[in-house]
Amino acid sequence: MAYDKDSQSIVDYIQNFARKHSLFVLAYGTGCGAIEIPPTMTSRYDAERFGIRGAATPRQADVLLITGYLATKSLKRVIRTYEQMQNPKYVIAFGSCTINGGMYWDSYNTINMLDKYIPVDVYINGCMPRPEAVISGFVKLQGEIQAGRAEGWKRYQDNLDEYRANQKKIIKNWTMPDYNW
Amino acid sequence: MTDILNTENKLLEVLNEEFKLLSGKVKRKCRVEITIENEQIIPVLLFAKERLEYIHFSHMSCVDWIEDGKLEVIYILWSPKEKINLLIKTKVNRDNGNLPNIDFIWRQANTYEREIREMFGLPFDGLVGNQDFILEDWEEIPPMRRDFITDEYVSETYFERPGREDAKDVREQILGRTDEDLPDFAKKYSRD
Repeated sequence: MAYDKDSQSIVDYIQNFARKHSLFVLAYGTGCGAIEIPPTMTSRYDAERFGIRGAATPRQADVLLITGYLATKSLKRVIRTYEQMQNPKYVIAFGSCTINGGMYWDSYNTINMLDKYIPVDVYINGCMPRPEAVISGFVKLQGEIQAGRAEGWKRYQDNLDEYRANQKKIIKNWTMPDYNW
Repeated sequence: MTDILNTENKLLEVLNEEFKLLSGKVKRKCRVEITIENEQIIPVLLFAKERLEYIHFSHMSCVDWIEDGKLEVIYILWSPKEKINLLIKTKVNRDNGNLPNIDFIWRQANTYEREIREMFGLPFDGLVGNQDFILEDWEEIPPMRRDFITDEYVSETYFERPGREDAKDVREQILGRTDEDLPDFAKKYSRD
């Protein structure tokens, strides 16, 4: 659905406006990209200008950042974290590792394509992306939210079996609870 | 030259007097390398720690010599007093070998031993803790062994994103390139 004020109800418009200006980011980092988050959040780049700030627990968070390569061991934790987050929830994937594996494309222990396991709303490329790129990615996500297109969480619910099959291919010993929405 | 390596040579002499080494040599300044039998590991390490004051256990690593059917384990010690790295090497059978546990000498060896057990499948006698260390749910052969084929495993397990349509495969072009084709600035770095 393209961004068009007339085609959205006024409630949706206000809802999305409110959502996009208070993005609570879960304080969780994998790989090397988490080191770009402190400069993004602190005074030099000051992401709070855009309403972006940290959240302590998955239940309070809106945005999950996957900051770099994802080992199969941390994939398990990421899936569990993602499933505990409340709807609506968004995923931003950092760096080339989440897109196609990056420099770890032939590693036995890191996944290559993140969007096969959890739905991704915005990709930020680079190895690693600078804070400017990170903020640009966030602004892009805000635009998607306002336009009502950031619907990864709906995609996850609709195609849960497909995602689960991919996840269980890697996580053989599945001990996590099955959340049902 | 011999004057510079004086401490190193002396260390090798002392070790040769005390133990029957398989081989031993001074690799360069600050680096001495010895090879020993499996049974000598604990005596040599204790001797180095208590008598020669090689008190710092820097690292412990493993090499897979698949052609000989052996795994080589290397203990790297450092003496803050003499400023020398002492490399102690030993070889074990790849299939049914095992090594003594040395975490009562240096507790940090426990971490290295668990890593080697998981990555190379080499058991250590009396090593506590059977749980997974780094790998979870691993069902293949240990991944650092050379007969584990990473490429095959990756293409079976993970997804590969198709490349761009306009991307060209230039590998053969690069291999067939002669020195004349190289630009001037690159000739400087040519291997010939």
